[in-house]
Amino acid sequence: MADKLKALWRKTFWAWSPESERESSEAIVRNFWLHWFPAKVARASMDWNYSFWLGTASAALLLILTVTGVMLMFFYVPSTERAYGSIKDLEYAVSFGRLLRNQHRWAAEGMVAVVYIHMARVFFTGAYRGTRAINWVVGVVLFLSTLFLSFTGYLLPWDQLAFWAITVGTSIAKQAPLVGPTVQFILLGGHEIGQQTLLRFYVLHVFFLPVFVWVLFGYHMWRVRKDGGLAAIERVRDARTMIPKTTPASKSYSLFGITPGTSVQVMSSTGLEESDQVFSSPNMSRRIALVFLVVFNITLLAALLFNAPLEGLANPSVTPNPAKAPWYFVWLQELVASTTVRIGGFTVSGALLGGILLPGFLLGVLTLWPWLDRSPLRTQGRWLAPERKRQNVTFAVATLLIIVLIMVGVYLRGPYWRIYWPGQARPETPRLY
Amino acid sequence: MDGDRRKVLRLIGKGSVLAAFLAQIGAAGRAFFPNVLYEPPSRFKIKRPDDYPDGYTLDAAHRLYVVRQKDAFHVISAVCTHLGCNVQWSDTEFDCPCHGSRFRPDGTVISGPAPRPLEWFATSVSPDGFLEVDSGTEVARGFRLIAGKGNA
Ligand code: FES
Repeated sequence: MADKLKALWRKTFWAWSPESERESSEAIVRNFWLHWFPAKVARASMDWNYSFWLGTASAALLLILTVTGVMLMFFYVPSTERAYGSIKDLEYAVSFGRLLRNQHRWAAEGMVAVVYIHMARVFFTGAYRGTRAINWVVGVVLFLSTLFLSFTGYLLPWDQLAFWAITVGTSIAKQAPLVGPTVQFILLGGHEIGQQTLLRFYVLHVFFLPVFVWVLFGYHMWRVRKDGGLAAIERVRDARTMIPKTTPASKSYSLFGITPGTSVQVMSSTGLEESDQVFSSPNMSRRIALVFLVVFNITLLAALLFNAPLEGLANPSVTPNPAKAPWYFVWLQELVASTTVRIGGFTVSGALLGGILLPGFLLGVLTLWPWLDRSPLRTQGRWLAPERKRQNVTFAVATLLIIVLIMVGVYLRGPYWRIYWPGQARPETPRLY
Repeated sequence: MDGDRRKVLRLIGKGSVLAAFLAQIGAAGRAFFPNVLYEPPSRFKIKRPDDYPDGYTLDAAHRLYVVRQKDAFHVISAVCTHLGCNVQWSDTEFDCPCHGSRFRPDGTVISGPAPRPLEWFATSVSPDGFLEVDSGTEVARGFRLIAGKGNA
């Protein structure tokens, strides 16, 4: 019975089935769904313990965010009068509306984290050498875009968090030298936060940024292929070239008859051997599906267990006390709060130093890292290569500092942004909102 | 000679198409700079002088504090000079909830990231007897408006 069904399935949907290695490759390359995979991938590229499939997990989150986001668009109205109400409706009046919003929210926060960890993985494996440097830069841009997507996203509910986040965020933009005030004016669509501001952030969030990220994601993937796969394969390639090739002496045929010499070595473009590679379908496609399902279920579980936060309706007259940014921006809030420098009568605002110059510097160093890395090439594709110890420690310490700042901001800061140790009583502050 | 003329003409032809294309992009970009702003005026009336008690009174809607000392009035902005949150008066000083800046009663900075003192707004009495604030004009600290002579 099962065999008959299988045969029927084949007859209905398959005009042909591959009969040789070559035909199997063609089946992948010529298939609409599979053609963006190479016919074969290196086993080393698919090693769970090398990459942890974090890039695939990021892509899965992007897909989940796009689908849930488009669904949310059916219920959300980008108007200052109705935005907050439409979120409340999602929570109380739309079947599974709260679940949808929760999943979108947790997937978004998850994506910020996963994209960063993915970047850390690439750093710790030194996987950005040679032509892969371009993809490193693309990755940094994708990380930034992810942050911008989150920022524009949590403004949309038009609650207190949204309103004061725009206030602080665009005030930081205003501090940029020369162009600052103009940038703020365009972002707000005026001098004050209002309908224009909401609409601008909405269009950025639902159209420009997602399209930009999807296109760049496509380029990111294309480059991975053109660079020959993950940097892990360099290890294999090195191992292969270590084995001295014995070129078989043979006779070659030339116009003038038989001449002694060596035959031309046929090398695969990746420098890998047949046994190092497997067909991408089903070997890779199945793993991608698995990663997607796991990521989907984790976000779904989070959505079932935890509700996305929603503060009171935006109120320009009352600032929440304390007004905290979401966790992935809290370290920036710590920076702008503590980097104002006074030298005599001269003041440099923390908004410029901690909000623009310092993050800009970090970003610049991060972007240029592939060109700063002078370690031997053989360290690429290796976890925590001893030759890159100092670099890895630098990256780890910077990450740790950011995490510490986030912890301080999230757990220790109380009313008026003062430090309150755990257990220490926090004063009651009027909560008017 | 003939070839040269052709080259120049071709350049002019292609160039003008390209220029028109770029100008169109510029025009589209210009649309993002609003010409008309539906924002409240920077000059507005608040209450009558005698409606304010002695001390610091918050006008949340306009984000400012009206300060009265007997017959002397002045108006201090409630917008933190750091990144624009609303400062709160706590009887002895202003505190900012966003990054913890603290200001003296006259608006100068005690501590925190705020780079400048809170702004003082030009204030006058309108012909019909209301306090009128011009949030677009700053005045020096020490500005006083004498009004509300009736009772103090
Ligand atoms: S906005 Fe007041 S301290 Fe930052």
